[in-house]
Formats: sequence, C-alpha cells, structure tokens
Amino acid sequence: MEYYLDIWGEMCPIPIIKSQRQLKVMAIGDILVLETEHSCTARGLVVWAQKQGYPISESEVAAGIWRLTITKVHD
Amino acid sequence: MNPMVKNQRYWNWAFMSAMFFFFLLLAQINWKLALNLGLGVGLGFALEKSRFCFVAAFRDPILTGMTALSQALILLLGVSILGFALVAGSGQGYALNVYPLGANTIVGGLLFGIGMVLAGGCASGILMRIGEGFAMQMLALAGALVGVFFGERSLRWWQGWGWEQPGIFLPAKLGWLSTLSLEMAVLVVLWLLARWWQNR
Amino acid sequence: MKENWRTAVHGPWPYWVGAMVLGGLNILVLLVRKRPWGVTTNLQDWSVWFAHLLGLASERIPVSQLLLAEGTYLNLGVVLGALWAALAASQWRFRPLRQRKFGFSALIGGLFLGYGARIAYGCNVGGLLNGIASSSLTGWVFALAVFLGTWIGAKILLKFLV
Repeated sequence: MEYYLDIWGEMCPIPIIKSQRQLKVMAIGDILVLETEHSCTARGLVVWAQKQGYPISESEVAAGIWRLTITKVHD
Repeated sequence: MNPMVKNQRYWNWAFMSAMFFFFLLLAQINWKLALNLGLGVGLGFALEKSRFCFVAAFRDPILTGMTALSQALILLLGVSILGFALVAGSGQGYALNVYPLGANTIVGGLLFGIGMVLAGGCASGILMRIGEGFAMQMLALAGALVGVFFGERSLRWWQGWGWEQPGIFLPAKLGWLSTLSLEMAVLVVLWLLARWWQNR
Repeated sequence: MKENWRTAVHGPWPYWVGAMVLGGLNILVLLVRKRPWGVTTNLQDWSVWFAHLLGLASERIPVSQLLLAEGTYLNLGVVLGALWAALAASQWRFRPLRQRKFGFSALIGGLFLGYGARIAYGCNVGGLLNGIASSSLTGWVFALAVFLGTWIGAKILLKFLV
C-alpha cells in the first residue's frame, strides 16, 4: 500500500510527529510519501528515518519542493 | 538534480552582481560595515546550507527523540568557548557578553523558549527563514519587533526588583584553566547524554 | 572533489560541518566587532525607531545611526545569505502561509520571543551561544531556562498545532 501524508505548510517538527503516528498504523512493506517545501523539514525527516533504519529517498520535484518516500521495513 | 526543476541560475547571477555592488558601495562608506555584511552573509549561508536550527536543538529531543542538532549545538558551543578564550584572553578591548543575572534571566528564557517553538525559529532562525521566503516567519518578525519594544519598555521594571546580580565572569572567579576544563567537562557530559537519549 | 564542491553549493551540509563553519564565523565576528554576534539588540533599536514614528516612544534614534550600525548589516546579511544559499541551489520560492493557525502561532510566538529576549539581554545567539562562549554564568542559566521554556512550548505545540 502507498500512503500520502499531507504536511504542506507545516513547520518542524509536526511532519515528523505525523509520520511517526502514520508509520505506526501502516503494515510492513507499506510506503509513505510526503511532500514539503520546508528545507529543514526535509532534512530532519531524512536524518530521522535513517536513524530509525527506514529506507528513505529524497528528490527535488520543483524548485524548493522535496518529495520523500519512506518504506516501512520493520516495526 | 532533477531536470524537471526550474533552474534559478540567472536569478543567482543577478543576485550575486547586486550583492557585489552593494558590498562595494558599503565599503566606500565604511569598510567595517561591509565586513559585517560579508560575515552576516556567511552566517546566513551556513545556517541555511546546514539546516542549522537552535530551536530544533532544544525541541527535537523533547518531541521526536532526535538529538543530531543538539550534538551539533554542543560542538558549536565548544568551538566558540575555545575561540573566545583564545581571542579575548590574548587581546585587549573585547567586550564579552557577561550580562546581569536575575529573575528576568529566568522569566526571559522561559518566554523566549515558548516563543521560539511557536514562531518556528529563534531570532537568527526567523531571519534565515525570511531569506528562504517563508511568510510565516515574516509574521513572526513583526511579532518579535512588537515584543522587543515591550521588552525594552519593561526592562526597567524588572531591574527595579532589586535582586539582579552583576554577571559572573567565570575566569575571574576560577581562573582560565579551571573554567575551560569545567565547561568542556559539562559539554562532554551533555554530549554523552544527548547520544544516549537518541539511541535509547 | 567535484562531488564535495557540489554539496558545498547545493547542500545540505552535515550538521557538524555547519557547526564548525558557524563557530569559525562567530569567532571572526568577535575579532571584527570587538564584541560578539547578536541579533535582537539591533532589532530593538529598529523597533524603538519605528515606535517613535508612530508616536509611541519619546526618545528618537536617528535613522542615520541605525543605517551605520554594524548590527543592522549583520542581520541584513543573515537574510541575504540565506536567500543566496537558497538561490544557489535553485531552491528559493515564496512559501505562503497555508493554515491560519500558523499565522497566530507565529505572531504570538514572535511576541513572546522578542519580549523574553530583551528582558534577558539576549536571544539564542547573543544570550545563549555567546553568553556561554563568553564563559558567563548567566549564559548557562539562560540556556537552562530556554530549555524549560522549550518544553512548555512543545506541550502547547502538541495541544494546539499538530
């Protein structure tokens, strides 16, 4: 399953809190997609996911907009 | 970079040329002001590029359990303490930030801490995010200018409580060597604590 | 080498690199100004100047004095430097306010932040970072108070903004 979480315009660290809650209700193997225009949020999510051991890919889809894809590989 | 991303190269060149002429103009008036502008640009550039955030250093351990930025802040404190000791200990005429200590330090710190979480940036963070184009922090700056005015007006009242103590410059009490060892020891303990908190 | 250069321009830098660069620049500011980097002292001068324009403050700070103040150019530099950093990486855009609650939180937060910074003689930069860097006991006490304040702020954020 692929989930999309709306974090547009939200300041840090609300996106990370929302992702933590969302990942909890997802099954292993599910993918979470997030989009943000906040540079610090994108960076914070990448550092956080790496620490949790979730694979994360970051891409710039437009000037100053980041799309993040997190795969839930464990609980 | 994704080829879909619209390149801002021309805007960048235009901005750099404008900055260059502004810098030259300022240097004609006063080279020291130009130097300050250059240092400010460097600080803003480094803040944006490293996504450094004082707020996150304090807030993330509480809200998300991440201490990556807290550890970076501890490193920054260590570098600054040693650098300041070297500069101010070897030269004359430096006015360091040794401020009085009183109830206003505590109340001010509490209000400042609440405010920076809600505003999404501390004073330097607000300026950095205005540069990045955030409307939210432009509002926060407007709020901060009002708050600063009220703070300036009421400082006299806080001082009137009468139990504000003169600031303690630690090297004057303990000597440089003990001060620096003590501060470094505190920073190392804080760093170990931060690392433990994140891996918990 | 090319990869390093690309990261330096495009970012993001690792946090520790940012800390080292900021530390170096912070020391350079002390060398140039003969006093440490600060943000809110200058904001205060501008706000008193503006209050005088509105007729709310009796004392008058001449605008020429503000335009020749080093703090003005440090603050302006931080804004321009961040703008430049975003442009250099093709990441600049106007980021509008998308939810009204964040407008309120920004205004109230800014008010608290400005008031607190001025009664405690400094913000995160002048009071905390450079207070501690100056080996002043006040800096450490202020840091502790800011941490407690952040904890209260985090509770408010969880309650009203998430």
